[in-house]
This record gives sequence, C-alpha cells and structure tokens, in this order.
Amino acid sequence: MKKQQEAQALIGRLEYQRGNVEAALKVFEGIDIPAAIERLQSISNDKKSGSHSESGPQQGANLVLEAIYLKTKSLQKLNRVNDAAEECKKVLDAVEKIFPHGIPDAFVETKLQETISRAVQLLPQLWAEAGCYQEAVSSYRRALLTQWNLDNECCARIQTNFAVFLLYSGVQVDPPATSTQIDRTYVPKNNLEEAILLLMILMRKFSLGKAKWDPTVVEHLTFALSICSLQSTVLAKQLEEVIPGVIHRVQLWKTLALCCNQRATALDLLKKALHKHEKPDDITSLLLAAKLCSEDGFLAAQGTEYAQRAVDDCKNRNQDLKGVCLRVSGLCYGKQAIVSSSDYERSRLQSEALKSLEEAIDLEPDNSDLVFELAIQYAMHRDLNNALRLSKQYIDATGGSMLKGWRLLALILSAQQRFQEAEVVTSAALDETAKWDQGPLLRLKAKLRIAQSRHMDAIETYRQLLALIQAQKKSYGSVQTTNQVEDDRVNEYEVWQGLANLYSSLSRWKDAEICLEKAREIIECSSETLHVEGTIYQRRGEIDEALATYVNSLLLEASYVPSKISIGAIMSDRGLPMLPVARTMLSDALRLEPTNRMAWLHLGHVHKLDGRLSDAIDSFQAASMLEESDPIESF
Amino acid sequence: MSTEQQRVSWSDSFSDAQTAIQSLSTILSSSVPPTVSSSDSPASALLNDPQLASQISHHLRQPDSGSGDNQLCRWLYDTFHTSKHDLQLVVLRFLPILAGVYLSRIPLRKPLAGFEAVLLAIYAHETASRNGQPITVNIADLSHPSVYHEIKHPPYKTTATSTEPNPAVISPGLEPQGTIRATKRARIIGVALELYYSKIVEMPVQSKLDFCEFCIVWAGEDGEFYKDYPDYDDNKRREEEDDHIEGGEKKMKEKKEGRILLPWEMMQPILRILGHCVMGINKNDEKNKDLHETACCAIRSLYARALHDINPKAILAVGSLLKLIKYQKTCVDHTELPHTKVIHL
Repeated sequence: MKKQQEAQALIGRLEYQRGNVEAALKVFEGIDIPAAIERLQSISNDKKSGSHSESGPQQGANLVLEAIYLKTKSLQKLNRVNDAAEECKKVLDAVEKIFPHGIPDAFVETKLQETISRAVQLLPQLWAEAGCYQEAVSSYRRALLTQWNLDNECCARIQTNFAVFLLYSGVQVDPPATSTQIDRTYVPKNNLEEAILLLMILMRKFSLGKAKWDPTVVEHLTFALSICSLQSTVLAKQLEEVIPGVIHRVQLWKTLALCCNQRATALDLLKKALHKHEKPDDITSLLLAAKLCSEDGFLAAQGTEYAQRAVDDCKNRNQDLKGVCLRVSGLCYGKQAIVSSSDYERSRLQSEALKSLEEAIDLEPDNSDLVFELAIQYAMHRDLNNALRLSKQYIDATGGSMLKGWRLLALILSAQQRFQEAEVVTSAALDETAKWDQGPLLRLKAKLRIAQSRHMDAIETYRQLLALIQAQKKSYGSVQTTNQVEDDRVNEYEVWQGLANLYSSLSRWKDAEICLEKAREIIECSSETLHVEGTIYQRRGEIDEALATYVNSLLLEASYVPSKISIGAIMSDRGLPMLPVARTMLSDALRLEPTNRMAWLHLGHVHKLDGRLSDAIDSFQAASMLEESDPIESF
Repeated sequence: MSTEQQRVSWSDSFSDAQTAIQSLSTILSSSVPPTVSSSDSPASALLNDPQLASQISHHLRQPDSGSGDNQLCRWLYDTFHTSKHDLQLVVLRFLPILAGVYLSRIPLRKPLAGFEAVLLAIYAHETASRNGQPITVNIADLSHPSVYHEIKHPPYKTTATSTEPNPAVISPGLEPQGTIRATKRARIIGVALELYYSKIVEMPVQSKLDFCEFCIVWAGEDGEFYKDYPDYDDNKRREEEDDHIEGGEKKMKEKKEGRILLPWEMMQPILRILGHCVMGINKNDEKNKDLHETACCAIRSLYARALHDINPKAILAVGSLLKLIKYQKTCVDHTELPHTKVIHL
C-alpha cells in the first residue's frame, strides 16, 4: 500500500517533468493523501521517541508532500488557480501536522525542506492569482512570521513578493496584528508603510551579505519612496548603504543626483558621472546638470557648456531629445544674460537664448513649458508683442491652470502701459484661483491700481491681502497649501512695505509710519524699510535725514539699487561739486540693474547739469524707452 | 458582521441600480443589453458588461458630451450621488475616459460643465471621507524593531537621536471646491484618480486600458526609443529613428495633440495606477495581456516626457518602473522544480 503510493508519486513527477500536466494530475488524484499524511504523522511521533535521522520515513514524507505540491503546480498550469491554492495549503497544513514541534533541524538541507520552501512561496501567489487577496495577505504573513526553516534566499524572495503585492496590487490590506506591544516597535499602518519596511529590510540583508543582491528591490524601493513626496533623503541614505560594486558607480551617482535636494551636491555628483573617464556623453546627466545650472546665474555659464555637449550628442543619437537640449541651452544663456556685467555681452547672450529657444520650439511646438520660457525671454528682450502672443498661447494651452502664466500676461500688459487690461487679466486669474492662493495676484493688483493712480482702490486691495495673510497665519500648519504657490507666498513684510510706500506717496505720514512699524516688527533692520523711511523724509523736505537713512540702508546692503538712485538724485540737486558723486552712484546702480528707468532719468539730469548734452539726450532717451516697456514687477 | 452589512447594502442598491439602468436606457441611443437589464446583480452588470461600457464610452467621446445639460453626465452624477458603493464604482469605471476627454478639451474652450460636475462630485466625496485631512505615511526606520525584523543592539540614546519615523505626505489636505477653478483642476482630477486607484482591484480591464491609452496621449512623447531601456543599442536606435522619420511623422503629429501639463499631483496617482497595471495584475491571464503591453507603452511615453521636462522626481519614479519591466522579462520562477535529467527518489 505504502510502496504503491510512493510509486504513484514518482510516476506523477515524471509525467509532470515531461510536461504532461493533465496526466500527472490524474496520477496525483489517485493517491490517498490524507491517509498518507496520517501515516507519516504516526511515524514522526514514533521517531520522536525512537531512532534518529532515519532516511526511510523522511523520504516517504518528501514524496507525499512533493506529490501534493506537484498536484498544485499542475492545477496552476491548467488554470485552476483556486483548486491549486487549496491544494497548496494542504502541503503546509500537512507539514504542521507531521511536525507539530517544527521541522527538525536534520531536515533543513534535504529535499523535503526544498518542497516546503517552494510551497510556502507559492501559496500566497496562488491566492493572489485567484483574486483571494485576504488569503494572499495572511499566507504571506504566515510564511514570514512562522518558523519554516526557510533559507535566507527563500525568505528574501517571499519578502520581495509580498512587498510587490503590497505596492502594486491595489488591495487595501489591514495592518499586521501585533501580539506583543513592545515599546518603540515600528508597526506599519498601511500597504505602503509595510512594503517600504520590507524593502528596507531586504536592502539591509543585501548589505550584510545575508541574501544575494536582487536589482528589483532597489527599484521597487525607489518607486515606493518617490510616491511619498519629499522622501528623497531616505532613498539617498538607502543607496549609500549599498555595498560598492553592486550598482554601477555612474548609475549610482546619477540616481543620487536625481534624489538630491541640494543643487550643489547634485551638480557635484553629476560632474563625477560626466567625467571624461566615466560617461561623458550620458544625455540624462547632461540635461540634468544643465538644468540645475540654469537655475543659478553664476552657474549658468557652466550650464551652457553642458547644454552644448547635449546638443552635440543629439546629432548622433537621441534625436528625439534635441528640442529639450536646445531648450535648456536657451535657459542657461538667458540666466547668464541676467548676471552679465557688460552691455554687449548681455545682448549677445540674450540673442543666443532667443535663438536656442526658437529652434527648440520649432521642434516641439506643443510644449507649453517651452512656450512660457520663450515668452519670458522675449519679454526680457523687450520684444513685448511676441511675448504677449506667446503668453496668451500659454494660457490657452494650459487652460489657465498655471498662476505664472496669468502673472506673465498681466506683467507684459503692464509693460505696455495697458494697466487697465492688466487689471482685467489679474481679476480673471483671481477667479481661477482658490482664495488661499490669491496672495501674489492681489499684490499685483494693488500695484496695478497704484500705477493707475487709483490709490484708494489699491489700499483696499492691500487690506484684502493683509486679511488673507492673517488667515493663513492662523491656520498655518493645519492646511497645507499645494504646489504652485508654496514658493511664491506673499510675505507680510512685503505688504506692509508696499503699503507704507503708498501712504507716503499720498503724504499720509502717520499711516506710513504705522506700516513701517509693522514691517519692522517682522524684519527689524532692512535696506528696504530704511529706503521707504528715507523717501518719507525726502518727501517731507527733511533732506539731510533722508540722505542719512539712505546711506544707512546702503551700509546694510551695499548693492541696494533704489538707495543708490535716491542718493544720486539728492546729490545731483546739490550743485556742481557733488555731481561726480551723483554720477558714480547712478552708474553703479545701472551696472547692477541696467534696465532701471529712474537711474537713467537721474543720470540724464546729471549729464545735463554737467553740460554733456549728447550724453544727457542718450540717457533721457533710454529712460523714456524703458518707461514704455517697464513691467510693474520684474518678469 | 461585514458580510451581513454587505448584503443589506446589496439589496438596498438593487433598486437604485434598477432605476439607474432604466434612466440609462432613455439616454443611450441603442438599448441597454438584456444581460444588464435582466441581471440579478444589476450594479455589477453595469460595472462589468463590455457592450454597455463601449456604448457609454462612445457617448462620452461625442463632441458635445461634456456640456452642462448632457444627459449622460447627469446620469453619472446622479448615480454617484446614490452613495451606494457598487454604483459609485460604475461611475469611477468611466473616470479614465471622462478625465481624458475633459482634459483634451480644455484648450478648445468647449462647455464642459457636465464633466466638471461629475469630477467635483467625486472630489467632494473624497474630501468628506478624508475629512479634509492629508494622507501621510511614516517611513520605517530600521533602528526600531518591527514584526519583520529584530535588532540586536537597541540604540542607547533613544530620545535625542533622530530615530523618529520619517513622516511623508502622500496626498495633501483637501479643501472643499464649489467649482473647478483652473489652478485647482489638476488637483481635483488627481484626487479623483487617487480614489480610482484605491478601487482599482474592482475595475474591469477595459477601464484600466482606457486609462493607459490616455496616459500615452497626455505624455505627448514617443516612448518607442526606450523599449530596451536601460540598455541603449545605438545602432538599433538609429534605425528606429530613421523608420520614424520616414513613416511616422504624421502619426507623431497626431499623437502629440493631447499633450497636457503633468504636475506631480496628477503624476503621482497616474504612476500608482500604471504601476498596478504592470506589476499588480496576473499576467498569465489572457485578458490582461493587452493591458500589460499598453501600460508598458504608457510608461515609456511618460519616461520620454519626464526627460523632456527634465523632471528629476518623475525621471526617478518612471525610470524605476521601466527597469522593473525589463527585469520582469527575465525573472525566474522559483516555485518550479529544477530541470534535471536525473531521477531522484
């Protein structure tokens, strides 16, 4: 009887291995499995009292268990997944029955253990395939939390599979029950937390050499942590712990750069990756490096080099990326132009920027980001008609979803001195914006109203803005504002500052003082506040005090342009001996801000007083040209 | 307890579903398939019947489908407002098409109030069920033990060191929205997609397939270059590029039509859904083959897009999905017996 069963099991296996799944299944179905298990159970109990490590019963147990297991596999291959799962469960139940005190150590290296390990691995997969997700979860947990004597590799595989299940199945899983409430124990509360925990444990196993490196784990972890915003530092830490040589170093630097929040560090990593002995023409690294550089005026020159390398690279391959290479090249040129100190250099860089961006948009006419960037570049170049056309196109393409698009359009209109239309645009933008995010638009609106000399309306808008800021301050922390505005939140200080300026222009000194006081409460000492204070003195005719205050503001911040201009203006009124001082101050201001209209205007005065009439004409002309194209805030 | 509750809600939703089917039959030009109208479980039939789904999808894609007086939008809105779980699933099933058609029509300035009403209903439902609170997770810190691991040397300084778990926001808090303001549009759709993802197990394959197809349109980039990612074969690539230049120019133009901005608030749920479609489904199932392939295609397109946007976060997340697709092809089944010619006893 017993021998016959073993023979059947053997035949079944042979059929299975030949691929005759149906035949194998027939054979396996002929075995009386419960009886076999019962017999094994009694042998195992006998053995506990009697002889040790006898190969006979062990082999029998193996054959029977393997038979059930292969029956499972056959059913799985015949797409009878539910039956397969039930059958597979029997393997594990049988093991628990046969070895109620756990699997003896003597069996660990045997074929019996192999079968058990396979079954432990397979069962949850079958449940998942069958759509019985709760069973899948509990059998995963049973696999991981019960002592099956699994080797490290097998355990790691199950952990990986479970993590994958948790991450991607979309099933909402109840958190694991903890029997013991040990203090400071980490208990995952949902799928994502549990998956990340398992993946981190796996990463640690790899670095301790307890399991063989599996490249999928780090990718799953990358994905999982990317889903949780702002968790790049955790990922970076995990990657740094990986033993050297497992991930190719260039790949590692690249990935670290991608998850690095600090520009300088990311750039350092990319420089390593792009070193001539590594992968100097890796397009992703080149693009990323150029993009990072384009965000900082002083790095922009480096950025143009990277971008140029990327563009050259595109001649041979990656032709689909040519547009983006040109785009980032244009951005770098544009940024470089802003910090450039010479006029000639600046206009050259600006034309380069325009050229690159125009070429890029020929390749990617539907890229709305590109449309926006080109609009900005035209605006900087004071080609307001083109800028206007593109900024409208951007709003259409994005359906008005981007605040920055609305703002740009309003600013371009303001530069064309079309304040009323700009205000209409701003109001339209306010309609499309939730209350909470309206700050920057309200500020713009107030400025536009001042430009139209509608001071009372402007004060009203400032009031709204202050109310908004107060509300935001109160609920700060409880409500998290989303993406778009976070970097562009209007600060209270700026509002008091603007309001003080407004009151001082209306000669309402007291109100202006109050506003300045409020501003000082936030930032005690700043060049801006001092400058406004100075203008108040100046308007009241207290010129000496005004001058002193302006000088103070310059002492605080040596490159503060408005104070330089104001000092220059005061000096030019003090007769011939003071003209050189005035001229120095104003030239200095123009070096810092070449498109500052007021600086040109006062410089014109100085030239005129000094008798240099043609210079004066040039300066006045510059001032008047700028006046016609000056936006209300910088683009 | 839960089964009993389900039964109650089932019998409850039965009449609602019947009503829904009746009103649907007045909207659709062709009649509701008899398999649905005479089904014992009408809600599930509404969700799963392929013929009905294609009728509704066809309707949603009609040029005037999104207007405020559109009957089908009205129907979706009312059906969602029955507050019956299984009927809400029916509405979510059409979310991919609805969101896809809606977003592609934004630049055309067509009336879209009908679509918006449905989207807002879903958003409001989520806002209420989350109570406006953000969804956060605490990332594990292995210096604390957990159910799955022990630590041999617990850290001594338990208070001062940074061993607190790292909190991370998965989805920020929600404020109620009465209308779809343009700047909130992406967030509202993103939240609806988050809800869709949480019910994705119950969604029919066709619905996920629709979603993947729209992702390709939204990305607006050709992902074919990344077929063998991360291995670049330059020669092959060049050949492919030549092919594209010859034959594909028109196709590419067509493809780029629906390109939209993909801020992270939409990208994140999109990636979770696509992750499910490649890693979380049973690939052996014949029905899922198409879905898997289309999802892979969508991921490649989004990778191309991430590179075009030079968006580090997206490059990282989409790139890891791309690599996982690659590994998937070469994975070994460890539950199989090792191949051997020797007969063991």
